[in-house]
Amino acid sequence: MTRRRVAVTGLGLVSPYGGDPGDFFARLLAAESAIRFLRTDDVPRPLAMPFVSCPGFSADATLGRALAGTLDRFAQLGVAAAFAAWDDAGFPRKAAAPDRESWGVAWGTALGGTLAYEKGYRDLWQRGRERLSPLSLVQGMNNAANAHISIQLGLGGVSMSHTVACASSAIAIGEAFRRVRSGEAPVMVSGGSDAPQAYAVARAWEALRVLANGDENDAAQSCRPFSVDRSGLVLGEGGAALVLEDWDHAIARGARIHGEMLGYGTSCDHSHLVRPEAAGQVRALEAGLADAGLACGDIDYVNAHGTGTAEGDPVEVAALRAVFGERAARLPVSATKSVHGHQLGAAGAVEAIVTVLALREQALPPTAHLADLDPDCAGVDHVLAARRGQTLRIALSNSFAFGGSNAVLAFRAVA
Amino acid sequence: MDSLTIIREFLDSRLEIAPERVLPEAKLDDLDVDSLILAEIVFEFEDRFNLTLPRNLKSPRTVGELVALMDRLRSEQG
Repeated sequence: MTRRRVAVTGLGLVSPYGGDPGDFFARLLAAESAIRFLRTDDVPRPLAMPFVSCPGFSADATLGRALAGTLDRFAQLGVAAAFAAWDDAGFPRKAAAPDRESWGVAWGTALGGTLAYEKGYRDLWQRGRERLSPLSLVQGMNNAANAHISIQLGLGGVSMSHTVACASSAIAIGEAFRRVRSGEAPVMVSGGSDAPQAYAVARAWEALRVLANGDENDAAQSCRPFSVDRSGLVLGEGGAALVLEDWDHAIARGARIHGEMLGYGTSCDHSHLVRPEAAGQVRALEAGLADAGLACGDIDYVNAHGTGTAEGDPVEVAALRAVFGERAARLPVSATKSVHGHQLGAAGAVEAIVTVLALREQALPPTAHLADLDPDCAGVDHVLAARRGQTLRIALSNSFAFGGSNAVLAFRAVA
Repeated sequence: MDSLTIIREFLDSRLEIAPERVLPEAKLDDLDVDSLILAEIVFEFEDRFNLTLPRNLKSPRTVGELVALMDRLRSEQG
């Protein structure tokens, strides 16, 4: 089978810093934390936790009230990110173009429309209502984001959603990549979105005891991957999208190419729901390298999954040490969740964008708040401060999920 | 409040359709009122007036038909 080259021609974000990928990356280089303390007025017990919101995002202003009103927030974030990536790629929004009948969408969401469902439960059980809004189901369904992206952009090929916890959008991007590389689809929109601030969802995360400690005074520094004093992950909302395009198709239309996607590896630990295992992550890393035709020595940077949990961080570093051997000590690694938090189903796409931007800008963003490295997380070259003027050719982005699902994406800089 | 005003207010708020476009003879298709939006309008009336719409209703095609349907149900069940 002939393998097509795959270009990244569009980047789109709804982030706590706003929607401009260049500005987003500059904030990461400056280690500017977007984490704030969230306090709600919920009963019986208000939420009070470090969290990442997108306060500058107005769904009505971005999407128009008619469309925004049909969507749960997770889909609003997703459609807005997809629109931004689409515009960035230089495609008209909705064209009566028969060639788009084979173009598709692969989208990741860990949660789907939990805010819509939660509103329904509150209406039924808290407010004593007998009827629910007729939009409840179509707002809540997990494929709402990709369905609306296909409808709005007139894409007639595959439209699929991937729900694989924290690896959702990394796997979505990988599956989209395979379709472009095989020639099945010349253009795919891929990414992910989530809005985990539904009360019961946040409470469920809290019950797992994996969320970071923090209060009003130190929330910004509460996510501390690889640090000896890390206390957990920080949830956040967001959306991120990439346009993956057949290389020749992109060249023929004169598109700007941000980077090249080279490979995708995936695996399952097949051992435990929430305790990650290095062996499974090793298999995903090795599969990603093999899929891209790369050797360990080719990799100039790894954007780590690095959530800041006690169990997860050392296992990821152990996997990197196992795969990269002696070279691991010279392998630059950073966990940008330390400042942008964990957007769950969007995280893989957010960090794929970080990885593409690192290659494009030849600069490495740091792991913030890492003054005191956990010895169990040693053995790689932790990026502690922004490194500019680098020579970066190829980089990986790791995403490792509850359920044991792992995904590794490989990208190359465009000369 | 009369049914036409309720429909106008709903469409103004939900779809930003100017009330002066919501005339009795206007076709719902032309106002981008699809089956989902129609279901939302019906829900609005059910909610406000505690109505229960029969499942096998013939879908109205114009604003006037929708107003007539709501007026009839309000009069029968109100």
